[in-house]
Order: sequence, then structure tokens, then C-alpha cells
Amino acid sequence: MAISAATKAATDALAVNRAPTSVSAQEVHRWLQSFTWDFDKNRSKYPTKYKMANDTKEQFKLIAKEYARMESVKDERQFGSLQDVLTRIDAGNKVHPKWNETMKVISNFLEVGEYNAIAATGMLWDSASAPEQKNGYLAQTLDEIRHTNQCGYVNYYFTKHGQDAAGHNDARRTRTIGPLWKGMKRVFSDGFISGDAVECSINLQLVGEACFTNPLIVAVTEWAAANGDEITPTVFLSIETDELRHMANGYQTIVSIANDEAASKYLNTDLNNAFWTQQKYFTPVLGMMFEYGSHFKVEPWVKTWNRWVYEDWGGIWIGRLGKYGVESPASLRDAKKDAYWAHHDLFLLAYALWPTGFFRLTLPTAEEADWFEENYPGWHEHYGVIYEEWRKRGCEDPNSGFIPLMWFIENNHPIYIDRVSQVPFCPDLCKGASTLRVHEYNGKKNTFSDDWGERMWLTEPERYECQNMFEQYAGRELSEVIAELHGVRSDGKTLIAQPHTDKDGKMWTLDDIKALNCVFSDPVDAL
Amino acid sequence: MANYKVHDNHVRDEWTAKIGQLHTLAKGVKFLTEFRKKHTTPLRETFDLELDWGWIECKIEEKVALLKHAELDDNQFLNNCTCGANAQEVADAVVAKMDACDNKYEAEKLHINFRTDYKPPVMPTNVFMDTDRLLGVKLMELRNTNYYALSLEELRKERGVKVITIQ
Repeated sequence: MAISAATKAATDALAVNRAPTSVSAQEVHRWLQSFTWDFDKNRSKYPTKYKMANDTKEQFKLIAKEYARMESVKDERQFGSLQDVLTRIDAGNKVHPKWNETMKVISNFLEVGEYNAIAATGMLWDSASAPEQKNGYLAQTLDEIRHTNQCGYVNYYFTKHGQDAAGHNDARRTRTIGPLWKGMKRVFSDGFISGDAVECSINLQLVGEACFTNPLIVAVTEWAAANGDEITPTVFLSIETDELRHMANGYQTIVSIANDEAASKYLNTDLNNAFWTQQKYFTPVLGMMFEYGSHFKVEPWVKTWNRWVYEDWGGIWIGRLGKYGVESPASLRDAKKDAYWAHHDLFLLAYALWPTGFFRLTLPTAEEADWFEENYPGWHEHYGVIYEEWRKRGCEDPNSGFIPLMWFIENNHPIYIDRVSQVPFCPDLCKGASTLRVHEYNGKKNTFSDDWGERMWLTEPERYECQNMFEQYAGRELSEVIAELHGVRSDGKTLIAQPHTDKDGKMWTLDDIKALNCVFSDPVDAL
Repeated sequence: MANYKVHDNHVRDEWTAKIGQLHTLAKGVKFLTEFRKKHTTPLRETFDLELDWGWIECKIEEKVALLKHAELDDNQFLNNCTCGANAQEVADAVVAKMDACDNKYEAEKLHINFRTDYKPPVMPTNVFMDTDRLLGVKLMELRNTNYYALSLEELRKERGVKVITIQ
């Protein structure tokens, strides 16, 4: 009777050493690789233009027992710190209020990214044919489940031990009201799990993880710590310890297709589209979260971006893949322009639309405004004067009867939403690279803000079908929308979103918003 | 302009009532495919149901799936489309058409029409999913070949969009 390769390996090992005292994890890993399937007869459930090689290696060679031991140690340290030390020192109430609000968004949105990454890596497991490569993807699937729970736990911890639970506790239903949500779904959901499986790997591992987790998951811990938050670094640095393996998985995806002729035809296009997809949202949103969602500043976002995205990723990481034919994305140059002003443009709109959020926003203080002007010369003349005007009109006080959205309407500065990225932009006021272009196709108007996205839509229009908030709410009064979509606190009338974090300041209610009679309209109707 | 609630609204109520009137598989499938042609995909006839088409389509599919379960035996359920045609033969024919296609816009229509006509529960999932994968691979290859060959202006013309404004 034929013996299996695994049995033979074990028999051979015993022949060399009749009484082994231990077996290393790497030996076990080698042994496990012989338990494999006949991939010639297998096929993936998912479409891809590429063929992954059957003999691709995976650097970490983790086995389940080793993996579980490592992760359980990390979890013990993390949850031990959170539940004991950090609770005893009342860490939740020592966080600066502005940053407390920022974490409502960051942790909840990252949870969505992690959740979709579970599906994405499961899809990659199915698509790959090399046992080692499958093993790497499988470990990542388990990581992503862990990370989803961790992100949820951060919001739970802030809810239970922090200073303003509303928003941390019910973001899963209130996050859909405002315009930030759909862009996030574009990068963290559609980008990771739709279309070509290899393109999804490029979105998730080669761009999302290798490029943006450094600014997202590492830089965020610096900003958190600077603003009194010990909770976020405790969890996010634990998450980051897994990310290296994920970046390696992205690297191995490229290695696995390097000899496939499809790579020379499609790879750099897919990389460019993936990079533009991810940066179009993350560049402005992360910059806005860090700089406008904090009191104590670490460094200008443009510097962080240049270091992690432009030099470390675009130069070094992609440079290492050069031998496989990978080139730095052509869109990197345009993204660099956005890294300077796009987050300032976005905050202007985010503050104007504050009632649709699930968090409190604050205008920059005089001290913060000085920091902005010092680091972004020209900031005050363009943005600062607008904030001064809004403040003079009492935008923080419900008795004023003024929200900044009204200023946009009064001054005829229409806000559009890019169909591909779902990121809002105001062509009249933006200092970033966005420019307005509107098409009509089969009776439907579509708005775009840049060449790269417009080309993506023209190539693949069905992928970007998504109604934006102006299309969805057109004709409806603002307070009705907020009430229907649960944007109120437990008293049933005070908004979760507020335009300040002053604990002595008056809170806006549904009645205050209703009194404004602010009715949504779709600006493209006027074109 | 919609001007009604996101979740509970009269449009969904009206369609729920219409779906309730479907009592045979043949009627249900006709209703579903007509709905898909008229209200879904970028090639749809009207955007009147832009906000609710996904919810309504899902509810029609639920009803058709129940009618299918009631009317088909196990063998038919696994192997036939709701019209009675052998699912694999239908799939093979559309894959052959796609294999012969070298125009990305034609391939796009082929793929969209396949989904409109055969997305489950019309075709059994076991056949549909793999066919959809094969069609998708070819479409992606055609779309991604020489991706930057045309200027944006040329691409707009080729796609057939009417330019309203370019800043």
C-alpha cells in the first residue's frame, strides 16, 4: 500500500533520529505542506486575469499552534492593560475631548475595513494554488477576525469608560447618515472584495496595508498618545504587529504572478487604480482626522504623508518590487498635490455638514489656527477667515439659527460628490487638485473630481453605482433625515453630532435643526 | 426627487403589494426579468426607482425563489433554469459568445444581459456563479488591455457620454 508523503517524511525523520526530543515549528510547517490538494483540477470561485504560481512561498511559515500561542499572548497583554491598568487610572476620561470624537470615526471605520479584509483574504485563499501562499492568507483571515473584534472593542471601551458615549455606542447605524461613510465603503469594502481577486490583493495588501496602515495604524497611535489617549495605542499597536505578515502576503501575491504574462499587461494599471482608489479617500480623511480632530499636534500631515506614502512606500517598497515589473503608480504625483490641501478642503465641508455626523466637530482654536498657518502658509487667508465668519455668526450656538451649510447656499458654493470615490468637494473653494466634470450617461448625471477616477468610471461604470447623500435626501428636511436615521442621543431629541465639544456649551436638538428649514437639494439638477 | 423615507416608504409598500400578486413561477420570472431590464444596471430604461431598486429586486428574487421551490423537483432545481432550459447548455452558449467577443463594449453588454436574464434564482447558483466568473475574467481582460491608449476626451466619446461641464 502506498504511503502518503507525510507518513514518509515522518518515517524518514525517525530513521535519522529514533528518539526526537522536540520538533521545531518550521519542521512541522514543512510536514504540513505535504497535506495538499490536487490543484490542477481545482478552480477558484473568483475571477482574475492572472494565474498564481503553484510554488509560491510564504515567509512566515506559521502553523496554527504557533499562531494561536502568539496571538493569545498579545490579547492577554492588550485586554489586561485595558481592563486593569487603564481602567484604574480612568484613561477614558483623560483623553482630550476632540480626540475622543476622532476615535468614534477611526475605530468604527477601521472595523469595517478589517471585516471586509476577512472576506478578501478568504477570497485570496480560494484563488491561490500554492499551499504556502494559502497558509499565509489563512493566517491573515484569522488576524482580520481578531482586528474586527479589537476595533469594536475600542468603541465599546470608550462607551463604557469614556466621556461621551453617543457615537461610540451606535456608530454602526448612525454612520450611514453623512457623506464620509460611502467613501469609506468604497476603499474598505468595494476595493477589497469586488472585481479581480489579485486586484483586491493589491488594494488590500499592497496599497491598503503596505502603504496606508503606517499612517493609519501607526501614526494614529502617536496622535492618540499626544492627546491623552492610552487606549488606542494599546489596541492599534497590537493590531499593527500582525500587519507585517499582511504586507508580506501582498508581496507574495506579486511574486506569485510575476512570471504570468498577464502581469506585464495589467499589473501596473491595477496598481495605479488601487493606489488612486485608496489615496483619494485616505489622504484627505486621515489628514483631517489627525489635524482637525486633535488639540495637540504631532507633525503636519503632509510630512507624515511624504515620509510613509511617497518615500517609504512609493520609493522603497514599490522599488523592491521593481524586479517583478512593478512601477510606482503614475498617480502618485497627483496624490502628492492632494496631500497638502485636500484635508483642509474636506474639513471645510465636514464642518458645514456636521449635523449629519455621528461625532462632535470643533473649529480650530486661535492657537490651532496659528499652527495651521505656520505649517500651511496661506491657510488663514483661505480657510481661517471662513471659520472666523462662521464663529461670529454663532455656528456653535443653537440659538444662532445658523449652520455653515447655509453659508455655502447663501454664497452659491455648491458641494458635489465624486461618483467614483464618493468624496465630497466644492470646486469653488478647494485648494487641492479637484476639478469639476459632469457627464450624462443613459439619462443619469455623474460628477467627478479628477482624471484618474473619471477614467475608472468610463471604463467600468457599473462598479460605481451608488446614490450620494444629495440624491438620496433631495427634497427632505434635514431634521427629518437625522431623526429617521437615529442621529439622536438617548433623550430622543439631542443630536449625537454637535459643532463643539464644550461641556458647558448648549447642545443642538432636532427642534433647533427643524427651525432652520434646511432642505436637501442635488446640485447637479441645476446644471 | 425622491423626498421620502430611506427605509419605510410608499414605493417599497407599492412594490411589496405587486410582488404579493405573483403566484406562479412563470409570472414571477417574467416580472423579475422585466424589472431588472427596466430598473437595474447602467443600461436601465429609467432611473425612477434609483433609490429603491436594490431592495425591490431582492424582494422579487425572494418570491421567485419560493415559487421555484414549490414548482420544481430536485433535479430541475439543480440543473434547469426557471424556463426549463438546461442551465449548463445556456451557460456554455453565453461563454462561447464571450470567448468569440473582442470588443469590450459588446462584452460588457453580454455580461450585463446575462446577469439580467439569468441571475439566481432564474439560473441555479452552482452554474451561474462559475459562468459569471468566466464572463467577468474575459471582460476584465478586454477592459484592462491598453487601458491608457485613449485620451479622456476620446474615451468619453467612445463611452457615449454627454459632457455637461468640464472645469
